[in-house]
Amino acid sequence: MAKAIKISKNVQEGLFDFLKSLLEKEKISGVFTLKKMDDNGAVSYSLITSPDEFKNAVPLYPFMPVNAGKALSSFTLLGKTEEPIVAVLRPCELRAFVELVKRAQGDIENFLIISPTCGGVLSLNLMGDKNQDKMVSQYWISVKNAEISPDTRETCQFCENFLPLNADITVGTLGNKNLDKEFTLFLNSPKGEEFAKEASGSSVSEEIETKEINELKKKREELREKYFKETGKEGEGLKSLINTFASCLGCHGCSHVCPICYCTLCEFDSKTHEYQAASLSSDLKKKGGLKVPTGNLLFHIGRMTHMAVSCVSCGMCSDVCPVNIPVATVFSKVGSSLQEEFKYFPGKDIEEPAPQGTYKEDEFMKIGEQ
Amino acid sequence: MNNNQKETKSNPKKGKTLPAEKSIKDAVLNIFKKALADNIVDAVLIPAKVPDTDAYSWILLQDESLFDIADPLPPVMNVQGGRALSSFSKNGELDLKIAALMRPCEVRAAVELLKLHQVDLDNVTLVSIDCPGAMPLRDYMNDPKKINDSFKKISEQWEISESLRPACQNCHRFSLMDGTGSDLHIGLLGENKKVTLISNSSTGRDVMDKLGFEPKDSLDKWKATKEKLVKEKSKKRESFLKEWQEKIKKTDGFFNELNKCINCHNCMNACPICYCQQCYFDSQTINFKPETYLQKSKEKGALRFPLNTLLFHVGRMSHMVLSCVACGACEDACPVSVPVGRLFSMVGDQTQKEFDYIPGLNREDALPLQDFKKDEFCEVETPNECEEKVTEEAK
Repeated sequence: MAKAIKISKNVQEGLFDFLKSLLEKEKISGVFTLKKMDDNGAVSYSLITSPDEFKNAVPLYPFMPVNAGKALSSFTLLGKTEEPIVAVLRPCELRAFVELVKRAQGDIENFLIISPTCGGVLSLNLMGDKNQDKMVSQYWISVKNAEISPDTRETCQFCENFLPLNADITVGTLGNKNLDKEFTLFLNSPKGEEFAKEASGSSVSEEIETKEINELKKKREELREKYFKETGKEGEGLKSLINTFASCLGCHGCSHVCPICYCTLCEFDSKTHEYQAASLSSDLKKKGGLKVPTGNLLFHIGRMTHMAVSCVSCGMCSDVCPVNIPVATVFSKVGSSLQEEFKYFPGKDIEEPAPQGTYKEDEFMKIGEQ
Repeated sequence: MNNNQKETKSNPKKGKTLPAEKSIKDAVLNIFKKALADNIVDAVLIPAKVPDTDAYSWILLQDESLFDIADPLPPVMNVQGGRALSSFSKNGELDLKIAALMRPCEVRAAVELLKLHQVDLDNVTLVSIDCPGAMPLRDYMNDPKKINDSFKKISEQWEISESLRPACQNCHRFSLMDGTGSDLHIGLLGENKKVTLISNSSTGRDVMDKLGFEPKDSLDKWKATKEKLVKEKSKKRESFLKEWQEKIKKTDGFFNELNKCINCHNCMNACPICYCQQCYFDSQTINFKPETYLQKSKEKGALRFPLNTLLFHVGRMSHMVLSCVACGACEDACPVSVPVGRLFSMVGDQTQKEFDYIPGLNREDALPLQDFKKDEFCEVETPNECEEKVTEEAK
């Protein structure tokens, strides 16, 4: 049983009021959350400091225009925030932020972290769609019923890690049939308890992992198996890899939006990987033809070796791909088996170093030394 | 008119008409097959379909059998041709003779990249082709078969269809222009079951001679059909420009178009002109401490993340828009359907007119920013002196 408070309001309205009161009473200096940009459906993350501007905040709106972990990293790259800030972000965004903090790419101090039990987010190409409102209402029905919303990202549909880790406050949404009338805030830390005093709710003791949530987990696991099986046929080796990434433009959008890919200049955008005209004669003689620009496949494999062990399966990479390559599913598939090998759960424990940072002499004896 | 413009403009009067009994595609490929077989070139850069997939890509081929997968006019523009050419020719010396078949906007990009020292054209024969446009990448990836079918129809009828990419719908530079961009041009318009090879430079003429193609056939039909279509498409372009100028009249109007932007920089990475190894807006230069961001937020009430999303677009625009060839690669790569190609093309159009510059038209025309003229824009810089000068001239 976890400490919690029950608020008798619609979840979106209730969370909005809670955050607004924190801002108005100057308990915090700013709220980092999603904000409506216009009436055409565009939303964007924003650090809101004025209660007036807060009217456009939509904390649980089901879009992820950028992985918030990446955004918070850019905010705190040069040091911690001196003033307290509330950040509302999804479980995978929080895991990404934790991974970035481990890599000295951000600072989590002075943040009050609020994260929902997550029903996923809609694919980004639906932002601004004429049916957006309808899809969002449908989404909330799925959340209430703890079902998989068909308009959500593929990675969301098969995500098993939809309960936040390291959040001060967890907003219970999934499987709550009365979400329009009441919802629960789970208080996971003393900080969470302290701030929750500002919320007008009654103390309760509740379980986060309900029967509905466990059933949803099972459904998602099944889907995961299905998607992993369909993506990148095993046993076909290089050919399957080549075909999967055949239409890649080399725009590197996947790396640019990936929260784990934090390098200022990617190795694969550097001079090191530029083609040398002098190699052309021998390359053409050897192969008869070259797919140009060269190096697209190497980029994906290279990026994978650099970050897959920390992949949080947020799905940003697939959403920005202009040619519909299932990048996220491929990376999630490879990432999860890699993470299993290293017994590493990205974003779980802020103190646990990333596997590349810890050398163990007896690791992988079976494939390397005797 | 640009002072550096030499008298090298070619105005071809005659060409070589070649039969296309089997198909246009076949006739076009035969030109390149012959050039390769006769050792006139060592390799050919041409769009191709990746075997066993629906994907298109560029292939630089030497092995003749690879022509089987080549497609001179694919339904999509995967990577901008100028960018593809630059990717293997900008470092070191290109010691192979290459013929590159590209759409006119890709040739224009290659010419701009030449001026920016990002491509080596010494050993390259640039071949342009009458272009019916291309289909949006995402549409194609969603339903390749359907888009292939509709593209076939559109390209046969030279229809200005609404299912084409917006950049292509509004393009009036889809054929050979009166300038020194390409070396050879392949005319598809005007003739039935024939293609016309036109030389547009001494390099092009030389290749035609070696191919044994004497330019003795009339270009009248091609020219007349082309000019009629240019007129029609120019009209379409004018109305597009007018509509969008109205739309973004106020600063807000411009920025509202970017509300959906998620700052992925796909537009820049697809842009043939954005060649910087590291974009200024991806650099560490504009990183600040959290208190600075908080301060910025307090000034306005809220601060958008990712940071500098709008600055990126305005900055990129100021860096490259004079060379924007309106190819639409940026808009094709945008995951959230921001009309970024239309915005840039419209601003580019106006800025280029101010400098009397058409990017990619002539290899000899200096880039406006490299070409300082003392009395240029005197009306903005020194309005008083400028006025005197103008009245003097009037006398």
